[in-house]
Amino acid sequence: MSLERIVSRVTSNQSRKLAGIAKYRGYLDEQFCQVEDLQDEASPNFVEEVVTLFFKDSGRLMSNIEQALEKYPRDFNRWDTYMQQLKGSCSSIGASRMKNECMSFRDSCGQGNVEGCMRSFQKVKREHAVLRQKLESYFQLLRQAGPAGAATRPVM
Amino acid sequence: MRAAEERKGVVPAARRRDQFPVGMRVLAVDDDPVCLKVLETLLLRCQYHVTTTNQAAIALKMLRENRDMFDLVISDVHMPDMDGFKLLELVGLEMDLPVIMLSVNGETKTVLKGITHGACDYLLKPVRIEELRNIWQHVIRRKFSTRDRANLDFYEECNKPPNADSDHVHGHVTCGSPDQSGRPSKKRKEYCSEEEDEGEVNTQDIDDPSAPKKPRKYRLYLKRLSAVASQQVSIVAALGGRDPFLHMGGFEGLQGYQAFTSSAALSSFTPHGLLNSPRNNPAALGTQGVPASKSIQTMSGSHTLNHSINDANKYHLSLPGNQKGNLGQGLATSLGQTQMQQKWIHEETDDLSTILSGNGLSNGMSGTLQSVTSSPLLPQELAECTQAKIVSQPSIRTSSVSSEHIEGAVGVSSGLLESRVSQQSTIPLSGFSTNGLLIHGSFNNTCANKLGGTSSSCAPARSSNDLMVARDTKGGASSFGGAMLLPPDTEQKYLNFGGGNGLKQKFDDRTADSLFDPKFVWSSVPSSQLASNIGAHHAMSQRWNNSSSNSSNIGARMIGQATSSGSTVIPQMKTDFLVSGDMSMPKNASDLSIPCSFDGLLNSIVKVEKDDVTFSDDLGCGDFYSLGACI
Repeated sequence: MSLERIVSRVTSNQSRKLAGIAKYRGYLDEQFCQVEDLQDEASPNFVEEVVTLFFKDSGRLMSNIEQALEKYPRDFNRWDTYMQQLKGSCSSIGASRMKNECMSFRDSCGQGNVEGCMRSFQKVKREHAVLRQKLESYFQLLRQAGPAGAATRPVM
Repeated sequence: MRAAEERKGVVPAARRRDQFPVGMRVLAVDDDPVCLKVLETLLLRCQYHVTTTNQAAIALKMLRENRDMFDLVISDVHMPDMDGFKLLELVGLEMDLPVIMLSVNGETKTVLKGITHGACDYLLKPVRIEELRNIWQHVIRRKFSTRDRANLDFYEECNKPPNADSDHVHGHVTCGSPDQSGRPSKKRKEYCSEEEDEGEVNTQDIDDPSAPKKPRKYRLYLKRLSAVASQQVSIVAALGGRDPFLHMGGFEGLQGYQAFTSSAALSSFTPHGLLNSPRNNPAALGTQGVPASKSIQTMSGSHTLNHSINDANKYHLSLPGNQKGNLGQGLATSLGQTQMQQKWIHEETDDLSTILSGNGLSNGMSGTLQSVTSSPLLPQELAECTQAKIVSQPSIRTSSVSSEHIEGAVGVSSGLLESRVSQQSTIPLSGFSTNGLLIHGSFNNTCANKLGGTSSSCAPARSSNDLMVARDTKGGASSFGGAMLLPPDTEQKYLNFGGGNGLKQKFDDRTADSLFDPKFVWSSVPSSQLASNIGAHHAMSQRWNNSSSNSSNIGARMIGQATSSGSTVIPQMKTDFLVSGDMSMPKNASDLSIPCSFDGLLNSIVKVEKDDVTFSDDLGCGDFYSLGACI
């Protein structure tokens, strides 16, 4: 077996590990596996497309929330509505930790707890950033693995 | 190739018609682009024809322009430009298309609102492909019930001499039903053939002293047929996408099985009572212990079916096709008599085996059936006996069979004979119907400890593959009314695992330890719980949450979802119990040196926060998994 193939297999293993680690720690859940499953020859970059779309859309949603937190103090309904959208996105992609933070934000809204909302929102932002990092590394590994690695993408 | 074609949206109309649900035209509306994209791809993967839009106004415009352009609409609830419920109402009123609601929010009141606004189903995000595989049933059901109503009117008008009636109805049914859209004509023909059989039944029923009941019975029968047929189709589809109507046979044997299990659950309902229940109220039937949509269907189907069987033993003989389908579906709600059922089981065992052999799981069915037939007891007793049988089964059968038996056995052991059997028969690949979900809940309570207790003894020989399998089969589990029980679920995984001979041994151990719990309170739990919880999705869930059993959480969710969505809930069977890294953990265990022990997995699973709305990440899920793993 050529060195190239060995390297690509190793890196694909690495990306598998990375995905495994990310999933193991709960950053990504089973839904992400479903998204991965949807990738096939007909849509070979599906996962990356969805993830890119997610970060673009969630960035927009989060800045909406941030503005609302400032502009509409104690407008829990509005905050909740925005956060619900973000939560939906997270669950579609399998971002479980971020989704959980979204849920606790909504809980705080339900309780009328401004402090809680602010705290939760900071956590949401942090999880968002962490997830972005992880997924970027994930895709990097996938790319490094090359075509062979891409073919044996980290499937869970 | 075809996938690429589908993606481009190029589906020849002829092909679409012949292979429904392939090519079913779905309109998906969601303002969330991520969700919409994933949903679109999922639907395409199901081989539907998909049109998407992120604005309800555009969707409405498209629908108004040409109502016949679509078969089904899936819409998000929370959209900025128009409330999803409003869209739902408008579509229902103007176009009479089935609409499925989609939301992150699974609160009871929201789900209830969806139902009352006319949604034929309510899915929680993230949507799973298994749930989407079954949505085509709503199209059929709507057409069928419309035709049913039309036929019924005609039938009642012509209800004079009984003999003439059946022929009349028969003739009418085969020829006169209006085809609303002129589309799936094939389906209609097949339904007609079922109704022809029904005509035969009616003829036999003519001698029945309760002849005046015939119109109602016929109506209910039609209702049941539609439910059964759609369920059969879905079941067959789950089995491997073969023509659903070809495989209706083979499930018949399960019918008797159902009778055992459901009779206890439905003890509060007499057969006549069931028949007298509002015929257009699958939700009510569902409350009898069949939370999942599939279950509800089977309930309506099996109720009437069992009842007819009780009345006319020849019923199943005259309706081979329907019976088999009904059998699988009616598992949830059998009202039949033990003896009769036993007889059926005997008679149909071979058919079942034949039918299911394709899936490699049918043997399990036969074995299960045999175990059922050999113990003609009351449901509770039957459950116990079945368990006993399960234990003995492996020894009797060959190893290849015993693994399959495990599937069935597990179902039995959980105290839900019907659910198990139905699961096996109807969803060999995919999983277990929601039959007796409540029962399962209670069962789990009693047996969970046992299972948990044995988990440590069950060396998790399951490799990462098991987990992977579980993941793959998760869809199956949820595809039919998601009455997930721990045992069946775990079985499921193993089933897909290709037999899992190893399971046999584990199962034996487990059964020895835990299957003989006589305290199957399944008979009382479901009906009371369900009855009081029509639509009380949340309440149910909470109850389950409060219960110690982990698995019950999953069941709870399913029940809740089933009841909440009323008619045919696509089971929100989230196999998310495998979620949050658990799934991947075993897979990567070797890579990451993660302990593969159940405790380790459980701990990692437990880390998942509880989702108070969707239960997807429940503790219960994790426990569920570990419990299942011990099998």
